[in-house]
Amino acid sequence: MLNRLTILKSFLWASVGVLAAVSVVRFTRGLGAVTNLSDASPWGLWIGFDVMAGVALAAGGFVMAATVYIFGLEKYRSCVRPAILTALLGYLAVAVGLLYDLGLPWNIWHPMIYWQHHSVLFEVAVCVMLYLTVLSLEFAPVVLEHPLFGRPIFQRILKFLRKVTIPLVIVGIVLSTLHQSSLGSLFLIAPARLHPLWYSSIIYVFYFISAIGLGLMMVVLEGLLSSYFFGHKVKKDLLPGVGMAASIVLWVYVVLRLVDLAVRGDLGMAFDGSWQSLLFLFELGMAAILPASLLLVRRIRSSITGMAICSSLTVLGMIGYRLNMSIVAFTRPEGWGYFPSWEEIAVSVGIVSCCILVFLFFVEHLKVYDEPAHVDPMKPSYDAATLHDLMPGEQASPRRYSLVAVMSAAVALLFLPVKGAETVRTPVSVPRMVEGYQVSRQAGDFHALAILGAEEWSQSAESPIPLLAINGNRDATLVLFNHAGHVDRQGGDESCRTCHHLDLPYDRNSSCFECHRDMYEPTALFDHSFHVQALEGNDGCTECHSDGSEVKSYETATACVECHRNPEGSGLILELPGSRWGDAVGYMDAMHGLCVTCHERNAREEPGRFADLLDRCDACHDADFSGMLEEMTPVRKISSNVVQGGH
Amino acid sequence: MIDSPAILIDTTRCVGCEECVVACKEENGLGKDRPWRGQGAIDALSATRNCTVHRRPDDHFVLQQCRHCHEPACVSACLVGAMQKTPEGPVIYDSDRCMGCRYCMLACPYGIPRYDWDKATPLVHKCTMCHHRLIEGGVPACVEACPQEATVFGSRTDLLAEADRRIAADPETYIDRIFGEHEVGGTSVLYVSDIPLDFLSWKPDLGTEALPDLTWQSLSKVPPVILGMGAFMGGAYWVINRRMKLASMADDGGTTVVVDPAIPASDEDAGAETPMTPEDEETNA
Repeated sequence: MLNRLTILKSFLWASVGVLAAVSVVRFTRGLGAVTNLSDASPWGLWIGFDVMAGVALAAGGFVMAATVYIFGLEKYRSCVRPAILTALLGYLAVAVGLLYDLGLPWNIWHPMIYWQHHSVLFEVAVCVMLYLTVLSLEFAPVVLEHPLFGRPIFQRILKFLRKVTIPLVIVGIVLSTLHQSSLGSLFLIAPARLHPLWYSSIIYVFYFISAIGLGLMMVVLEGLLSSYFFGHKVKKDLLPGVGMAASIVLWVYVVLRLVDLAVRGDLGMAFDGSWQSLLFLFELGMAAILPASLLLVRRIRSSITGMAICSSLTVLGMIGYRLNMSIVAFTRPEGWGYFPSWEEIAVSVGIVSCCILVFLFFVEHLKVYDEPAHVDPMKPSYDAATLHDLMPGEQASPRRYSLVAVMSAAVALLFLPVKGAETVRTPVSVPRMVEGYQVSRQAGDFHALAILGAEEWSQSAESPIPLLAINGNRDATLVLFNHAGHVDRQGGDESCRTCHHLDLPYDRNSSCFECHRDMYEPTALFDHSFHVQALEGNDGCTECHSDGSEVKSYETATACVECHRNPEGSGLILELPGSRWGDAVGYMDAMHGLCVTCHERNAREEPGRFADLLDRCDACHDADFSGMLEEMTPVRKISSNVVQGGH
Repeated sequence: MIDSPAILIDTTRCVGCEECVVACKEENGLGKDRPWRGQGAIDALSATRNCTVHRRPDDHFVLQQCRHCHEPACVSACLVGAMQKTPEGPVIYDSDRCMGCRYCMLACPYGIPRYDWDKATPLVHKCTMCHHRLIEGGVPACVEACPQEATVFGSRTDLLAEADRRIAADPETYIDRIFGEHEVGGTSVLYVSDIPLDFLSWKPDLGTEALPDLTWQSLSKVPPVILGMGAFMGGAYWVINRRMKLASMADDGGTTVVVDPAIPASDEDAGAETPMTPEDEETNA
């Protein structure tokens, strides 16, 4: 009962089930929920495989049509129908794949009304649409031959279609030539991003020639596979001819690519050992050099195994070429890598599975191959133990396959991000903490901060306190900051909002100068009288107010940082190393990224001393609205030791 | 209306206050930042930031935004004309036309267009140089907001002259180059800088050739390919078909030719009909 075909179909239906589940999430939650695409990788697997490779894999249609109808090589006629069916399904797969990939798939018809002759993609879109029509017409006779369409009207259409076969074939060849090559031209616009091993001003030539070679090999592989699954006899006499033709085309392709590299002077790049060069050699070797060399041997060309290996190599290698061009060989910034998510892979596999299922359906019900298709056995089978009559295959298959599909869809749903994409949070860098002193000066309430080890301060200082080193004014200078002192002065736990804004995630906190800007306000950081004293009275004025003709104001005075550069001397302002930034964060990031982390750790390490306050979400988020975490309790009373010292 | 409006960004004047970003967000209603995966820093361009200020080592700040190229790659790439170069100069985006193929994002040499990855109806986002303000005689919101006059707005000719003047006045500070004057065919957003701005584009040297010209080399070959391929295939069919007809006539004269038995001797029907059908039906039966 379980023959090769049944196993294959079960697998295909399982993929279709997964596809159905992913589709729901894809179309309700957007691209981000199921793909790994990003602004640096706008095109991923769905373009690279479904569209780029899909169109190339379907090239067998026009190649075989040209071979038989135009060049009159009649012995390959038996390959035409399967090749055209493959092409038709391949292009349908491209269209369906595009529906998944387009952000606004319901606008897919827009190229029909908004013509943009300067866009390569427009040319491709128009060609693909027209070619899909041509392929349907080319394949229509196969459908119309079915006894179901015996009525005269269908027969008249059939007769007409047969009459226009040659014009259709020629139009199909022209359209294929255009868009097979133009898929390569798509990348001409990105010389800055595509690696020079792949970027060439004649990409379109490579794409066209490789499509011909790939088309030939795809016809071979497909013929061999259907022989395997349907138990047909392989037409061994056809293999050597196709093999030789493919070999020639592939050699042309190899030579062209290498000569192009040499002309551009980048041939050395192919052998410089970088991973791109290895990838390039691997791709070119697998797709063309290896199979083209093997095919030169007559024994390999005539053997089924040999052709199976060669055609598989080319098919996989050319898929690799398309993927390299559209995904791998693109420049991306550090940390923006792309690898397709399992959902993307599932969609690609699912669409291909659909195509194979339709292909099998056509083969079983229409005259695609010369030999009749081997259909699931119709005869009923018996349970060996009870001799109970089991369902005949005809009824059993739909049940079996729907069960497989539904089960796999259910399993897939378990793993899908049904709630949609989560935007990632920027990691919050922990501010640098230093031990330091707070020094009271003689002139009233002014405090100065100094880091530990600053000798001249240590005598007058009290015990060391934790200080934050922050880029408080976002002007690339570092200041020492007494967080605990600010919390105290601002009114304790409820004062966070004063500096860290409550409602703006990723917002930065208020700059220091927003409070400390005026020396005549109590928040002044600048102690003018202290400076007068330190610079020895009136004589010292010119130290800061150097230009006597100007008004003596903050704007005209020498900047603080001019004198206060050395942290271990008499200054407070540190130069910030260019690569390290100590931006203070916004409220939400401060809470989530800094406060909670420490409190969780403290509560874990010293359970007696630190209560589990901030480490619980409901410390801030209203427990009564537990379903809506974003609803924040405006101000929740939490014990006074929550914010202590520097974080 | 200013003739060929442009923005001049002087990185030596920028203090990184991000007033321009705030103004831009308000003007265009971009909302809270929703950084997408892979985005290392919050202050990278995103669907919620049409412009942003990059922090470079040693107190340098660089405003990044759409260059509004004279011959924009994104406009030439877009197959439905959703990206448009307006007669006034700015490159704008028409979301009603967009189908979401994201070719513009691939095409842009500066990596400007950004996408709503987390939405079910995603759109492309990019700076429009506040086109809606420009046509009413206003200036872009970012320029208006800049407290340092690090970004200034004016006609491109004037700004080029101003840039030249600044470089000439302080040749020790500035790099002797107006970024955007010639790159990819010239852009409407110009930079003068004391640090290299390579990091703003995919490749340090983008060249002066307009990118659409590269694709046009291929697109201009479409009509000859249609004619040439069509004529070649038609001609080949005619010649081969005629030869085979003659050959089959010779066959009738008695010459032995090895023919696949599955194929009828007459090749005339070979093209127009599917000649195997009757025979195959026989064998199948």
